[in-house]
Amino acid sequence: MKLPPVFRLVVRNFASNLDPLTVVIRFGQPAITIVVLGTMFSGIVASSLTDGLPYTAFLVPGMVAFQMITGGVVSGNLFWLDRRWSMTEQIFSGPFLRAEYLGGLVLTTLLFSLVGVGIMMLVGLPFIGVAALSPLGVLTVLLTVGLGSIFFAGLLITLGTRLRSANAYFTIQSFLQLFVIFLSTVYYPITSSTPKVLASIFYFNPLTYAADTIRDAFAGRFGTADVLGIGVLGALAAIGFGAAIWGFRTLDLGPIQ
Amino acid sequence: MSSNELVLETRDLGYSYAPGRFAIRHLSLGLFRGEILGLLGRNGAGKTTTIRLLTTLLPPTEGTAIVLGQDIRTGGRALRAHLGVVLQSESLDFVTVERNLTLYAFLWGVPREVAKARAEEMIDLFELEQARRRKPWALSGGERRRFQVARELMHDMEILFLDEPTVGLDAISRRRILAYLRRRARGGLSIVFTTHIMHEADTLCDRIAVVHKGKLLALCTAEELKHQHGGAREVSIAFSAPLPTDLRAQLAADLARQGATLRAPEADSDPLAGQISFRVERAEEILPWVSHWAQVHSLEIDRMAIEEATLEGAFLGMIGETGEEENLEPEGPTSIAGALTRASGGGLP
Repeated sequence: MKLPPVFRLVVRNFASNLDPLTVVIRFGQPAITIVVLGTMFSGIVASSLTDGLPYTAFLVPGMVAFQMITGGVVSGNLFWLDRRWSMTEQIFSGPFLRAEYLGGLVLTTLLFSLVGVGIMMLVGLPFIGVAALSPLGVLTVLLTVGLGSIFFAGLLITLGTRLRSANAYFTIQSFLQLFVIFLSTVYYPITSSTPKVLASIFYFNPLTYAADTIRDAFAGRFGTADVLGIGVLGALAAIGFGAAIWGFRTLDLGPIQ
Repeated sequence: MSSNELVLETRDLGYSYAPGRFAIRHLSLGLFRGEILGLLGRNGAGKTTTIRLLTTLLPPTEGTAIVLGQDIRTGGRALRAHLGVVLQSESLDFVTVERNLTLYAFLWGVPREVAKARAEEMIDLFELEQARRRKPWALSGGERRRFQVARELMHDMEILFLDEPTVGLDAISRRRILAYLRRRARGGLSIVFTTHIMHEADTLCDRIAVVHKGKLLALCTAEELKHQHGGAREVSIAFSAPLPTDLRAQLAADLARQGATLRAPEADSDPLAGQISFRVERAEEILPWVSHWAQVHSLEIDRMAIEEATLEGAFLGMIGETGEEENLEPEGPTSIAGALTRASGGGLP
């Protein structure tokens, strides 16, 4: 039996572009961050600053949120490499719709992010204990990471449709990744001593909403701010996906470097 | 052998990449089932654009094209499911050659067992055994090109578009691939083929379309093209005795009136040999005149030979060796009747 085109594309995305080393690094880096950074900073950062939690327990939800960046980057890079090696054009000349190709990328992102969420939770388990994540909490985490992943995938795919140089693409991607992570609450909370300007910038960053919402889900709190956070992520996911659709509709398949 | 079933037909097809700037215009041609159509033209002539239009990678800005009974504007996936395309740019997945073949077949929905058997066939046919476990970037240029063609043949299709498939291939590989394509065409596969190797087009293609600056200049067999546009060719004549100087001068003058230039004797040529050579258009037509001229002057001819017309000569004759022709401006469309009529005498079905 033939799989639907979009699933064939997802299988191909995993089989062709995700070599074991890339996968290990993508998941290994945040896992090592939890272990090393968490251990080291737990002795330095006072728990009063991190909601009464040891720093590692504070960091784990942040690293779970970080998976939406990992998933988005994987998808953006997959698309860029397909474009660079003319596979986009080759696939478009086959029995596929552009929407299916985009759908395949987004589905690959989601699978990658959600696997990442599972790995981060497993790695974080010794630090956070057997978390009493309610079904609502699980749903919140998955929804938050899923929406965030779609946003970042859409953003990077759109970027990939516009740029014609690998150098430009990877430079912008690294720059974005770095600033999105550091200007969010993934590694540190916003406290009364956070400069107002920086705190404001943090709230323009979708990763902040994701990290805060996931932290609340881990803590069993679920309030208006979390609904708002998911709402913001949902809107951004729609914008990112819409931008990627626009990018695909206007994509010039000509050669790139 | 091609049939009379038209599988592709374009009428005044055009693509404009900017207002008033056309990559291709007024393209009217047809392709029959089992036919191999060669698209010849200089770099930038519009060959690749034509292939991209016909495979729905680009939307036409004017004219129509019906491929396998479907309009290329609306055919979409249903149409592409019956096409095979080897694009000019190399495309690859980051897995071994063998896995690339089976993965591509998987993408096309080819059953696993069929894909495995076909991959073996392609690896053997395209001499990829040594490269089977290598990643595509570790292949030589020729291997990569063979791999591209092999991969596309992993799925079934009715029309195969090949954009310069033999670039970088050695003569043996080229012959092997061309022979295979010929066999597939006999089995009913229609092929559109672009190349810069004229000999290849001459031996492979049933008909040749010459495209220049986005415009179709000719659509006929290679023989017709050579006959009509073969250009000046070398004629060699060996008289039984040396030509006296005065007669040689007279022959030179008479030939000049026929549009031919007598070649000066080589410095080291035998002065006693009665050999002359000259270049002239429509070489066949001048031979009777030379025979008559020899009779009038009581000379005996031992041997006359005409350089064989080549497709390259015809191609250069058509577009001019410099290629500096007039710019493509809107002109009347190419005659559809002429464009669709096959040289074999067959008309529209």
